[in-house]
Amino acid sequence: MLIELLTKKYPGMRLWLAQRFSAVVMAVYLVIFALLLLLKQPVGYEGWLELMSPWWWRVFTLLFFISLVMHAWLGVRDVFKDYIFNLGLRAVLQVLVDVLLIIYLGWAGVILWSI
Amino acid sequence: MPDMQQRKRPKNLNLFTIRLPVNAIISILHRMSGMVLFLLLPALLWALNQSVQSAASYAALAAMLQHWLAKLFVIGLSCAFFHHFYAGIRHLAMDVHWMTSLQKARVSSRLVLCLDVLSVAAFAFVIW
Repeated sequence: MLIELLTKKYPGMRLWLAQRFSAVVMAVYLVIFALLLLLKQPVGYEGWLELMSPWWWRVFTLLFFISLVMHAWLGVRDVFKDYIFNLGLRAVLQVLVDVLLIIYLGWAGVILWSI
Repeated sequence: MPDMQQRKRPKNLNLFTIRLPVNAIISILHRMSGMVLFLLLPALLWALNQSVQSAASYAALAAMLQHWLAKLFVIGLSCAFFHHFYAGIRHLAMDVHWMTSLQKARVSSRLVLCLDVLSVAAFAFVIW
């Protein structure tokens, strides 16, 4: 039943699940981040770099940003669908948001691998 | 003249006579806070960039965030974040059919509001 809902027959279900799944990834990341801050108590620039620079943490952080972009894309899409009734305007705004989110994701990658 | 008749219909759409139930307040705030977080994403990325670029940019960012206006702004952002976080967890719980009765949904809505206030207060206390 669940597997069938995730096939191409029900594309909306996959988007629905993607929004939930990305939310869980971000929640787990943020809880771990908060715990790391509490445990390590980083001091100053060096402490902050030490916290952020391990490769696995950068990968996890990139995963967080990928989830964030996915989640924001779906969320903003729903908001536009509910409140913007002019289809042309909605399409233009949606493209704008899509482009912005892709730029944000690229920017996040550049920041993370410049550490 | 159906047009004239339609225009003469009494209208009663004074929004102030409609009180949103607590569940609906939580829900619309979840949506609003989500939009706020989306709109402030570039600011967050900029701050992340400043914090890791160099010791000088880190110090400049830290100095900027010492200003009371900046702190107020960050606390405002934390309101949106904490609400979106807790209300999102509530929605996830409901997606797996947990706490879905009206009574329980009201209780969990109030719990989300309480956690919002406590978390923002704790956060504000820590950064001030």
